[in-house]
Amino acid sequence: MAPLKAEEYPKPYRPYGADIKETRPYSPCRAACPAHTDVQAYVGLIAQGRYNEAFEVITSVNPIASVCSMICHHPCEQACRRCAIDEPLAVRHLKRFAIEKSADYRRNKRRLVEKTKGKSVGIIGSGPSGLTAANDLANFGYNVTIYERHPVLGGMLASAIPPYRLPREVLKEDIDDVTAKGIEVRTNCEIGKDVKLKDLVGKHEAVLIAIGLSQSRSLNIPGAEGPGVMLAIPFLEDVAFDRKPKLGDKVLVIGGGNVAMDVARTARRLGVEDVSMVCLESAEEMPAWKWEVDEAIEEGIRINHRWGPKAVRREGDKVLGLEVVKVKSVFDQSGRFNPSFDNDVTTVLDADTIIITIGQMSDLSFLKDSSVKLDERGRVVWDPATQMSSARGVFVSGEVVTGPGSAIAAVANGHRAAIAVHLFCQGEGIEGRLPDQEKEKISQMPADVAGKIEREPRLAIKHIAPEVRCDSMVHFEIGYDEEEALKEAGRCRACGGGAVVDQKKCMACLTCMRVCPYGAPVVASVSEIRPEYCQACGLCSPECPAQAISMVSYDVREIRNTMHQIIGAIDQKRQEPVIAAFVCTHHVGVFGFDLPKNVRAVPVHCTSRIDILDMLKAFESGADGVAVVRCDNTICKYRGIEHRVSARVGRVKELLGMLKIGSDRVELLPVKSGNGGNPYASVCEDFSGRIKQIGLRQSK
Amino acid sequence: MKSGSNLERVIMSGRPAVTAELGPPMSADPHEVMKKANILRGFCDAANITDCQTAVVRMSSIAAAVIALREGLEPVMQMTCRDRNRIAMQADLLGAAALGLKNCLCLAGDHQKFSAAGKLKGHPGAKNVYDVDTCQLVGILKKMRDEGLQEGGDKLEAAPKLFVGASWTPMADPIDFRPVNLLKKVNAGADFIQTQGIYDVEGFRSQMEKIRNMGLHERTAILGGIIVPKSAMMLKYMDSSVAGVSVPKSLINRMNKAKEEAGDDKKKAKELQEAEGIKITVELIHQVLETPGVRGVHIQAIEWESAIEKIVKAAGLYPRPDIPEV
Amino acid sequence: MIIGSQKPIEEIWDMVKDFKKVLVFGCNTCVAVCHAGGEKEAETIASLIRMRAAQEGKAMEVNHMGVMRHCEPEYFDPVLDEVRKYDLVLSTACGVGVNFLSERIGNVPVYPGINTSFYGAVEAPGRFVELCAGCGNCILHLTGGICPVARCSKTLMNGPCGGTNKGKCEVSQEIDCAWYLIVERMKKLGTLDRLSEVLPARNWSTSRDGGPRRVSLEHIREYEEREEKKVEQAGGKKQ
Repeated sequence: MAPLKAEEYPKPYRPYGADIKETRPYSPCRAACPAHTDVQAYVGLIAQGRYNEAFEVITSVNPIASVCSMICHHPCEQACRRCAIDEPLAVRHLKRFAIEKSADYRRNKRRLVEKTKGKSVGIIGSGPSGLTAANDLANFGYNVTIYERHPVLGGMLASAIPPYRLPREVLKEDIDDVTAKGIEVRTNCEIGKDVKLKDLVGKHEAVLIAIGLSQSRSLNIPGAEGPGVMLAIPFLEDVAFDRKPKLGDKVLVIGGGNVAMDVARTARRLGVEDVSMVCLESAEEMPAWKWEVDEAIEEGIRINHRWGPKAVRREGDKVLGLEVVKVKSVFDQSGRFNPSFDNDVTTVLDADTIIITIGQMSDLSFLKDSSVKLDERGRVVWDPATQMSSARGVFVSGEVVTGPGSAIAAVANGHRAAIAVHLFCQGEGIEGRLPDQEKEKISQMPADVAGKIEREPRLAIKHIAPEVRCDSMVHFEIGYDEEEALKEAGRCRACGGGAVVDQKKCMACLTCMRVCPYGAPVVASVSEIRPEYCQACGLCSPECPAQAISMVSYDVREIRNTMHQIIGAIDQKRQEPVIAAFVCTHHVGVFGFDLPKNVRAVPVHCTSRIDILDMLKAFESGADGVAVVRCDNTICKYRGIEHRVSARVGRVKELLGMLKIGSDRVELLPVKSGNGGNPYASVCEDFSGRIKQIGLRQSK
Repeated sequence: MKSGSNLERVIMSGRPAVTAELGPPMSADPHEVMKKANILRGFCDAANITDCQTAVVRMSSIAAAVIALREGLEPVMQMTCRDRNRIAMQADLLGAAALGLKNCLCLAGDHQKFSAAGKLKGHPGAKNVYDVDTCQLVGILKKMRDEGLQEGGDKLEAAPKLFVGASWTPMADPIDFRPVNLLKKVNAGADFIQTQGIYDVEGFRSQMEKIRNMGLHERTAILGGIIVPKSAMMLKYMDSSVAGVSVPKSLINRMNKAKEEAGDDKKKAKELQEAEGIKITVELIHQVLETPGVRGVHIQAIEWESAIEKIVKAAGLYPRPDIPEV
Repeated sequence: MIIGSQKPIEEIWDMVKDFKKVLVFGCNTCVAVCHAGGEKEAETIASLIRMRAAQEGKAMEVNHMGVMRHCEPEYFDPVLDEVRKYDLVLSTACGVGVNFLSERIGNVPVYPGINTSFYGAVEAPGRFVELCAGCGNCILHLTGGICPVARCSKTLMNGPCGGTNKGKCEVSQEIDCAWYLIVERMKKLGTLDRLSEVLPARNWSTSRDGGPRRVSLEHIREYEEREEKKVEQAGGKKQ
């Protein structure tokens, strides 16, 4: 990889239109993602069957993409503007599909990155944040060493996330991507024990502490000390490293967060039938994600809400249960966590094993007497503007400083830290140069637009049945097949991927305003296409007489410029006609893109964006026939486009007639899905037959 | 007397005037004109010589008019605004007067696209002129005759003494503007008016009432247009396709009846229809002449000049008065 | 604005077939609005020519480009060097643009890629109508805002003629009689009485007559000419 200049940040893969996108409000999904993954771009690429490119978009900002495809809490989905219509897109699951589809591509592209900087960085911890920083700094050309106290890389991902949620081979793919760049890995190496921080600081130009929150907090209640009461992290680590923790027949998990869910569900998978939980919060107040709770309940886990732990009842080494007291409220009037109890109402929850899962903290003992200062509450003192600790050259990132959060947030912070380290190593100032987290985003979908969009429920993610999945640590979620994935990807409204006007070219002719089914363009001195209205149907772009409108995503000009390659060399002795088939990726496209050999499929987001010029270009490139294969009116996602598309095909017929090429060589073929088989492959075949009858084009 | 033409004299005498129409041939042969002139001579006070009517090239109106004059038929030369600019028009008018022509009817002219209603090729791609319109042409003529001045203001040594006419379609859209249309032509200087063919006598009478209220019938001589019907088909066509002409159902029925009486005999059908047509024409002439304010009739027997004699006689308009020049 | 319409491809082919390197040069103002000669149509025409050339087995390089307007030099000057690399420029601007560019381009021929139709309005998307003839002497105040010069088949000033048939022109049932419209409009405006006056024969000298018409604004020209002179004296070249 070419050496990077000091100013260079990791260059993400830039799909067509990415530069325009950067200047405009983000789609809400992208803005919601802490790493700003361009969800709309990769979902769009998936919809077109361009899985490797989708992989590139994802991994350009997220080195633990496989992990996220399994465990991400997907704020993108919560922000999805489809929520205003029906349900959000299953973004995480689509990500999983794309990554699995591009597995070979991914493995083949792993390679060493040249060490051009001549400087080294030590990174303590290999969780999401440390791994991300290692990845970026390796990309920049630094010598990177990772110090990990566990025998494998991954931090909590490897040691605490239960395998039924994150299969270890999935994690390994991400780690292999990073380590393939040429990173020195020192596992089983605990700082303060195996190596001293001082030594690291001496050895490396910069050190990054990214140790996360790897210690469970305990409860200071009577009876908590002793056998039968465990802490979450050691329990999960035991499971992760196959150390078989001893559980009784009745396991009670204290806590209502996501880790508590992991603990309870793991206990179920260790053969415990009777697993229950107790938490301060009501079902609505619980910090755990709703889907986690639902899945846990499916698995037979009971949850006791609004009880606070008071004492562990035990007889010597034997735990009998947990005495709990009724919660009056969890949060005070200003919304802060400040539980109050009704001490008159208590009960005892039966249990022989209790696992405390009430939160984590960092083990910062190795920082004692070091130049890295801690505050009065024992936390690392740091400057978020520079990611640096009080010790020059010692940086911090991830949950150790940001507090508990998500993996993807730790990734985002890891990127920031990597840039900070890089700037520091190059002797440049850091403050004010780290990327901002907050991005302007496209506002909510206007009600009149939402009303024009077809309701299409999200394709449910299938799970292994609860009674089966609790028998093992096997990953319980079943991935989409291609048809499902393409169908789900087709639900995306492509927020931010729609039309943009080149104001230098626009002459305010009003064409776009007249064409748009959603009322997106407003024309004052020039046209402005409002992104909150635009549904990226692409109808306007080919109609613009000044070619002032381009599509941020799926612009057909991308296709037009490569039409010669798509068509390929024309064999003068061919027996079968060469057909260019513009295929709508919705509905009809969901059967995959395998077509007869003589048919060159050109997947498009919707045939509404096919221009007269695209069809002509196909003929210019030597096609014997051009088919525009669109979804039948009854299923088309963009209502009312058919007349314009057929008018364009009609115009091409007219022009072909003028050229005496024959107006029958182009056809608009509406296809209904759901008749079994691959309906658009068969219409293409029929069309190909008709073209063969007309004859193959001869060139002089 | 403005021109001293026979037509002017008859009109001034207060007797109903009769004009007919002579369509010049698509030919350089003068005999066709001579023949038609001889057929019409004695049965009308003057005959209009059309100016490339229906936008088809024919012998020029002036030339044909001179031929007719030599045959003893007083011509009314027609001049459309379609083909000449004001320079050519004035030059032609001087020439026409010099050749002895005394009447001129000013018209806009059928558009070049008309091409005999598509029956002939015509010259639909020709450039039309319309430098001036009918009203303006009438005004130019009046100025030349009465002031001895060209339109541009230059003096004429001898003014053309022409009796100036204009056409008028009483019953075309917009119907309530048509009287104003006539007013403008009269104000511009039209001495006489020949109207579009009248079948709907009631409609014509109601328009004439407005004209009388405006006093226009006294300022100009209105000759009611009569188009001699030849067949039921022709009447139907006129009703549906000719602007400003509507034919009452009863007339069409009469023609149809005449046609049906002949059964399958085509020749007889033609004869019967022609006879009925002449009958209708005579009735129309009477009805039109009975209309107050009407000073004569303009009988158009298109490509059927031979019918004029019979019609004029049957209408009791024969012989034509002979009013000597003063 | 100026409305243009496309030429048949065969006519274009006859114009361009003997050239090796052709630029189809679009104009992104009036003729773009009417989908005749904007950048998009320029690209379409370029594509058609390429295909036509391939049919004839002719090696021909055909590209397209577009600028905002061909009728003001500032718009095409920046690309003129590029444009001059071609053997032929097929301008899809209106005739004004073709003339104007032709005078300024040097030794490259500029051919018309479209027909310049008229001055018109966008009646409805894809439908354009002529409403002005640019006669140079506007009388719309006398005719209820409806121009008899542009809209009457006979440019009558004292219409209607006898050819009005149910509000339509004698030329075709598709054509509204302008004078019918004028009368109806003025009736509505309560100004019908003004139509009783005979409009005199017109002075057509303001219309197409005696070479190209020019409008010269003295207050602007005075200053500009002084500036141009200064540049010339300083040895600069006037475009």
